[in-house]
Amino acid sequence: MKTVIDTGCHAVALAARSAKVDVVAAYPITPQTSVVEEIATMVEDGTLDCRFLPVEGEHSAMAACAGASAAGARVFTATSSQGLLYMHEVLHMASGGRLPIVMANANRAVFAPWTIWADHNDSLAQRDTGWLQYYCASVQEVYNTVLQAFKVAEEIKLPVMVNFDGFILSHSMVPIRLPEQADIDAFLPEYEPTWRLDPQNPSSFGNVTMPPEYAEFRKTLARDILASIDLVKKAAENYKEYTGMWDGDVFEPYLIEDAEVVVLSMGSMASEVEISVDHLRKQGIKAGALRLRLYRPFPAEDLRKILPKNTTLITLDRNYSFGMEGGVLFNDCKAALYDKRNDVRVLNQTIGIGGLDLTWQAMAQAILALLEA
Amino acid sequence: MEKMLEMRIHGYGGQGVVTLAQLVASAGLNAGYETQSLPFFGVERRGSAVKAGVRIDKNKIRIRSQSVEPDYLVIMNETLLELAQNQGIAEDGGIIMNTAHPQDVGRTLYYVDAAGIAIENDLMAADSPFINIPMFGAVCKIAGLKAEVVSQTLTERWTGKIGEKNAKVALIGYEAVKKFEK
Repeated sequence: MKTVIDTGCHAVALAARSAKVDVVAAYPITPQTSVVEEIATMVEDGTLDCRFLPVEGEHSAMAACAGASAAGARVFTATSSQGLLYMHEVLHMASGGRLPIVMANANRAVFAPWTIWADHNDSLAQRDTGWLQYYCASVQEVYNTVLQAFKVAEEIKLPVMVNFDGFILSHSMVPIRLPEQADIDAFLPEYEPTWRLDPQNPSSFGNVTMPPEYAEFRKTLARDILASIDLVKKAAENYKEYTGMWDGDVFEPYLIEDAEVVVLSMGSMASEVEISVDHLRKQGIKAGALRLRLYRPFPAEDLRKILPKNTTLITLDRNYSFGMEGGVLFNDCKAALYDKRNDVRVLNQTIGIGGLDLTWQAMAQAILALLEA
Repeated sequence: MEKMLEMRIHGYGGQGVVTLAQLVASAGLNAGYETQSLPFFGVERRGSAVKAGVRIDKNKIRIRSQSVEPDYLVIMNETLLELAQNQGIAEDGGIIMNTAHPQDVGRTLYYVDAAGIAIENDLMAADSPFINIPMFGAVCKIAGLKAEVVSQTLTERWTGKIGEKNAKVALIGYEAVKKFEK
């Protein structure tokens, strides 16, 4: 295993290269730009044997990805914020078409007003598109997760989004451990599509369906997305066997066995919140942390199992669900626990919007304020 | 290194603040530590104030936020001293500054004439000196990193003559940095 020092954006590009992607179609946007630049450089200098399509916008990027994936290629792209929003229509096509595209999204808050810093409203606005969504807490995890995402995507024939906080992870430079290519190849063998569009043998794809067929397709899609939870767990364990690295599966728990207060969050803040938990423990509060690594499908059953009895669950939401009380995580957690774990009290704080700096001190303070309210 | 070492570098766009932060993080890695460089990007243009944090620790680094109370402020230009201090420093934190004319700053001050060293050694970009290279040497010295690590980091980052020249000039900064005495 080799260690390099590099940024989160470059970790994404390195992972795409390790995955030996066949086609990348992408459009640059801050703070994802250097992902696209780095992949273009790799293709140019011959270290990545891949067709790079510098398209004119994100809608085209996802459309090109869908076409290439339907033709049987292993396909990758990356975007952020407005770019992801611009893709929205085609995201549905990718999941409904059962196309195993992997996309990295550098989380950035959305316009208006104009901003370039992180929160999760860009990707959470894609919640019901049928994409799986991972959220990463470290640069190393971004690299690891892109590879796991391909494994899951190709097994269940669904697209997967790997989210990592803009600037906080995309631009921070840290040591990245790169496994041997032979181990990656063993973990993620060449993609063997079960069908493909072939000009020599023309067929149509995504045709008009009558209501019974359409309903059947969507029912299967809904079932398979839920079933992919097990594949996500399997991929994480499998990756560990080949590389020795582990970032959690659907959750990453921290000191929760005896916890009376469990703090649930996603993304980079979930790393630092562990320090808040250490601090609260020193003050005599039995706190623990739960990092949600897989947001969609939502691991509801796992949440019900993992929380200790009579816990207070605090969700720290880096998002707004406008028009609804509390953030997105808060509402999903409440829905998952209702009627089945009524011993759990759920509290919520929206925090870190538009890249507001989240120190462990500020998060500890927010947790204390909720407990004392 | 018993506890985490944290620095925040302040300079103007074009002075190589982000590169310096990355070099210090690389040096930390080469010395066997966990490291992190975390630039703060505002409006990216030449001449505006830029800052970047660096953390070096023997343990896994869990912090993801900006550096609020660093052990050292690294100041690329004296005019940024007040702004940098206003943005926070540890109570007993020190300053590492590029200056030829050190003055009492009310706390521990290490200084090096990085601009002078760069000019003297013809380490120039168009018309301005690469002050981040001698500053890199100075910062590594104060961080307790070995001179070999300074050379290794620069020759890994830039191959051939550029790497060798950068290493030579950085080591001059490494030797030249001094503690200010009233």
